[in-house]
Amino acid sequence: MLSHSEASEKFISDAERTDWHDETLWFVRAKRDKASKVLPEWEAMREHASQIKDHTLANLGEYLQAFEAKAIANGIKVHWAADAAEHNAIVHSIIAAQGSKTIVKSKSMLTEECHLNDYLASKGIDVVDTDLGERIVQFRNEAPSHIVLPAIHLKKEDVGETFHQHLGTPKGNKDPQFLTEAARQHLRGHFLASEVAITGVNFAVAETGEFVVCTNEGNADMGAHLAKVHIACTGIEKIIPKRADLAVFLRLLARSATGQLITTYSSHFHKPREGQEMHIVLLDNGRTRQLADPKYKNSLKCIRCAACFNTCPVYRRSGGHSYHQPVAGPIGSILAPNIDKKANADLPFASTLCGSCSNVCPVKINIHEQLWFWRQDLMEAGLAPAGKTIGMKLMAFTLANPAIYRIGGSLLRRFSALLNTSLNPWYKQREMPEAPKESFQEWYKKR
Amino acid sequence: MSARDQILGKIEPLEPIKHPGAFQGASEDFDFQASLAVVGARVVTSSELEEIFPGRRRYDKTLDGLSLAEIEVLEIDGEFGVAENGAIWLTEEAMPHRVAPFICQHLVINVKKIVPHMHAAYEELGKVKSGFGLFLAGPSKTADIEQSLVIGAHGARSLTVVIRS
Repeated sequence: MLSHSEASEKFISDAERTDWHDETLWFVRAKRDKASKVLPEWEAMREHASQIKDHTLANLGEYLQAFEAKAIANGIKVHWAADAAEHNAIVHSIIAAQGSKTIVKSKSMLTEECHLNDYLASKGIDVVDTDLGERIVQFRNEAPSHIVLPAIHLKKEDVGETFHQHLGTPKGNKDPQFLTEAARQHLRGHFLASEVAITGVNFAVAETGEFVVCTNEGNADMGAHLAKVHIACTGIEKIIPKRADLAVFLRLLARSATGQLITTYSSHFHKPREGQEMHIVLLDNGRTRQLADPKYKNSLKCIRCAACFNTCPVYRRSGGHSYHQPVAGPIGSILAPNIDKKANADLPFASTLCGSCSNVCPVKINIHEQLWFWRQDLMEAGLAPAGKTIGMKLMAFTLANPAIYRIGGSLLRRFSALLNTSLNPWYKQREMPEAPKESFQEWYKKR
Repeated sequence: MSARDQILGKIEPLEPIKHPGAFQGASEDFDFQASLAVVGARVVTSSELEEIFPGRRRYDKTLDGLSLAEIEVLEIDGEFGVAENGAIWLTEEAMPHRVAPFICQHLVINVKKIVPHMHAAYEELGKVKSGFGLFLAGPSKTADIEQSLVIGAHGARSLTVVIRS
């Protein structure tokens, strides 16, 4: 597997596409700014949402049990899964009981986290992703590169070619309207035929036992309402206490994500429809471990709006796939090391620590601070990249020894070529300024 | 030990933090019709509606999920609209089937009441009365191909709203 910096190097080798990616995501960030600034209460709402999430996490066990009791009373079957394997087995057993071979699924980053599609494929079950962006990347055997805009790394020419290969659209047709219509017709067939539908969950309400799913396309609803069996998969952190709390979260979510006033559909599933089976799977998969760590527990407040992706100077110029995780960007970089420290040791370093992520986060997660905490933990655990460890030790030694600092400085000023070597990644793809002739100290003494 | 007990066993209560209560201080100055335009819906009068969609279908309990796929234009009643974002609250009681507002090609919704914002909307909703309900704001849309907005992804291709006082 390539590290974030290695994969980024490949991504930015196409300068034109990198600029396009950067500008497109910045445009989404600008839409978020516009949508939030028309509300004078925006900052108060962020604080309010943050406090609701803090309160929920402080009482998560109670709220989960309250949700479970209400959901059962509503006729929903509640399942608990300690890890990804257990989650996948539960989902499979429900599908197997139905005897289905093809099922539809709307966007769920949690099922990506569990690699559910691969697991079900190994059991002979074909999963059709129904979100347009997800269907595009599924055809291409790729992972989503963004949690809200799964195919944002692709140009319309790429999508046209993919649809030509998989849906038989005319070669060379790259018109978004035409391609979307082709996907509509193709997926409508699956919606009408599928007996099982899987959806994600945006919010699960402890007070009522209902869950809310937000989409713009309507694909979650098309699947869930036509299927005999609806399986909703959720992380345990998606619980909120009260129904009225949804007001503040629905106001924040779409405005933060895409600058929309609200998603087109915000569906409240309270009871299965007559004759339907409705299941909800509550997944832990490391979330309780994250909750128990005061440094990182705030990451569980995330509502998956991806505002931190769109604002991040590193994400915008390195692309989602460089993060080699289903949730990329700044939030992914603080979630992933909790699941596998070693495999994701590069991610907390994929940041400038500029803090823009924390500034736009609708639930006020201290993302950039947690990136910095992870760096410390990874260094201590000896998991940081070797070059970084040596570099840091050398730097610490030099800064602690004034004499060596002065000698080193004067050497490097005279022989600046020493810095410009393949060992120094800071010189890659960058034009660096010339070193000055004298140091500040030398200049000051002469005055 | 079951996964349930395992998970609940691992969750230690943290230092108590109070729920902040109901949100106070929401702006009230929103225009429902302007928001509908932003989300891509059009507003017409009831006589205009007769001209545009003379052959539309009304609520009919005999329609099941699959037969609804054949319907070109469906008219249903919304409970109320939300001025800040153009969303309309719909419940399954007002639809022939839960999939109705998604599967028809064109959707018409009648709205009689308007509340200013989402906080007022949930106050209006009060306790859960319906097995399924949703806020619907405009026609189905996507921007998944190069961020180009396309109306009519999987759900209705257009939304027409009639405000009846």
